[in-house]
Amino acid sequence: MNQLAQFGLGKAIKPKGSLQTVGIIGCGSVGQVIARLVAQFGMDVIFLDVSEERNQEIINEIQEQLDDVIAHWGITPSEKKVIMAHISGTTRFEDLKDCDVVIETISSRQKGTLLSLRQELFQKVEAVVSEDAIISSDLSTLIISDLARVLKHPERAIGVHFIEPIDKTNIVEVVKGRETNEASYEKVVRFARMLNKKAILINESPGNVSTRILIPLINEACEILMEGVASIADIDETMKETTGYIYGPFELADKIGLDKILKYMDNLYQEYGDRKYKASPIIKRLVRANYLGLQTKKGFYNYEVEGQPTSNTVSCTIIK
Amino acid sequence: MKIIVLNCGSSSIKYQLFDMPSKEVLFKGIVEKIGLRGSFIKFQKDDGEEFKLEGDILDHEQGIEYLLGILTDKQYGCLENLNEIHAVGHRVVHGAEEFSGSVLIDEKVINALEHATELAPLHNPPNLKGIFAMQSLLPHVPQVGVFDTAFHQTMPEHTYLYGIPYVLYEKYKVRRYGFHGTSHKYVSARACEILGVDLNKQKIISCHLGNGASVTAIKDGKSYDTSMGMTPTEGLIMGTRTGDIDPGALLFIADKEKTSVSYTSTLINKFSGMLGVSGISSDMRNIEEAAAQGNHRAEVALKMFAYRVKKYIGSYAAALGGVDILIFTGGIGENDTETRKKVLSNMEYMGIEIDQEKISTRGKEMIISTPNSKVKVLIVPTDEELIIAQDTYSITSNN
Repeated sequence: MNQLAQFGLGKAIKPKGSLQTVGIIGCGSVGQVIARLVAQFGMDVIFLDVSEERNQEIINEIQEQLDDVIAHWGITPSEKKVIMAHISGTTRFEDLKDCDVVIETISSRQKGTLLSLRQELFQKVEAVVSEDAIISSDLSTLIISDLARVLKHPERAIGVHFIEPIDKTNIVEVVKGRETNEASYEKVVRFARMLNKKAILINESPGNVSTRILIPLINEACEILMEGVASIADIDETMKETTGYIYGPFELADKIGLDKILKYMDNLYQEYGDRKYKASPIIKRLVRANYLGLQTKKGFYNYEVEGQPTSNTVSCTIIK
Repeated sequence: MKIIVLNCGSSSIKYQLFDMPSKEVLFKGIVEKIGLRGSFIKFQKDDGEEFKLEGDILDHEQGIEYLLGILTDKQYGCLENLNEIHAVGHRVVHGAEEFSGSVLIDEKVINALEHATELAPLHNPPNLKGIFAMQSLLPHVPQVGVFDTAFHQTMPEHTYLYGIPYVLYEKYKVRRYGFHGTSHKYVSARACEILGVDLNKQKIISCHLGNGASVTAIKDGKSYDTSMGMTPTEGLIMGTRTGDIDPGALLFIADKEKTSVSYTSTLINKFSGMLGVSGISSDMRNIEEAAAQGNHRAEVALKMFAYRVKKYIGSYAAALGGVDILIFTGGIGENDTETRKKVLSNMEYMGIEIDQEKISTRGKEMIISTPNSKVKVLIVPTDEELIIAQDTYSITSNN
């Protein structure tokens, strides 16, 4: 009940579109970081995943991540309680009805673009949310207009690409589709600002800016490795030292997931046809061996001991 | 003449409506959870009756709009109409080097405050939101800014500079600013009133001891040195802040724990101090309870707190060339007898003689030293809102 409404002075000071509840569809590793970030900045989060059991696992996983942040002095235990109080899970689309923004973050690990699945989710969301709610996708190599075209109000569809490491990066790529209107764009810019991030405007194009530059970088790093020019750790260290990156290309690929990287590569190669996007044979071999990076504890690095990279899994030497 | 005093935080607004110059509080309360779910406005009328009204409050402007609506409401309010409001006084945390006193807010002041945001990124933006909201809601009502840092702008160069390359002061204004200025100013003036002495001829040490805590050396009515620095983290050990710490230790910790700048900030501001040492709470009462049951870390935390206060008193006595008046204020300073006893033990050499009964006074003005004590020791409850109202009244009356 709004007991306060009667005390308004009629000065028309209504903020343009409230932003209090955010829905997340598919709460895997990316969705979980977005969920805790959004909750940390005081908004409510409702995530939707496949089953009650999975939702409980997600809650547990987010709790574990926050415990790790506490152990590194990032937040206090009472701040964790407040964050968790903002997060809840559901399996029913109806529960997303009060969301001001809904972000689809379903897995990008499977083969293909899962376009029809994403379109179906967009339609299901549109059926329950209010008319001015934003419907969004954390897309990297897909096109928001392709998803928007199944909506009755495609002007509210907009891409929001959170860049790894999501909780540290100060920017978010906001992708305008053909029909995205200014009000939706402004709302998402405000949402980004509420998360302490700057919105980078992207005119839709597969790979946006970040993935499009990152993919050839990882491919080139693989090339250098295959030629036996330097080791994984030394290539990473060189890039970190010379460019100020937080992670080297191999560390970052492991963190994002090599299956996901492979899919980005396939999508970009298909779109642009340029060899620089063509997946390196090393990535393909690692994915086949289920060395997917941090998620499987083995990728370019071995993470089996306390989640820290301890040794390399690939070495290429041409001349001994 | 009615004056509203606002203290805007990131998601809350504390407010009081004063009748001036009578200093009577007509209405006071808090707007809570702005922009969050479950927001509400709480208020207390002059007869002490309390109310809480719930509803969506999406930003500071809407919160203040509702507050003004309640103030003029027949059932809850105490004003006929908004024209009765003569002025608005804002607590502003950081005035940088620009402001050495309270000022009438105009465009130039707002620009300077926006500039100072760099030095107080958490505190100044909500203060500005309150100012903007009032500009929009009551455009013809004058607004006054009262700064936490202003009183300390009289500190001489040799007490406010850090021992770092001077160019960093020139480029970024990295220096000591001090906080709680409104409180130190009020209690020092009030103590002199109580004692009937001339503020401009006294050497005063004022201890504002609360969850945040600072000690100020006041010479002839002016702040000469204070324990907080560029940020409120320096100085005394506080509820959750480290107070003074070797910067080398911080570098060592950051290296060992691989903490980023923002995590290190959380470590020194939220995990440390009495909470960090005791492992129990940041609340003195809980720590004292645990210490009474023999908890070693609680005992040592209490000793550390009092020792640091004592150390600052000693060093400021040396800096001032003696001390005439010693003041305790803030939640702990006003109410915690045990802390006062620890701080004031073995201080006879300085000319401090304590009345063993009066030292147990809680929450009211009291001289707790003996009549023969060379140094007068007082408890003076602080009233920052009142001083903001007084400054606002005097500035807007003169204009």
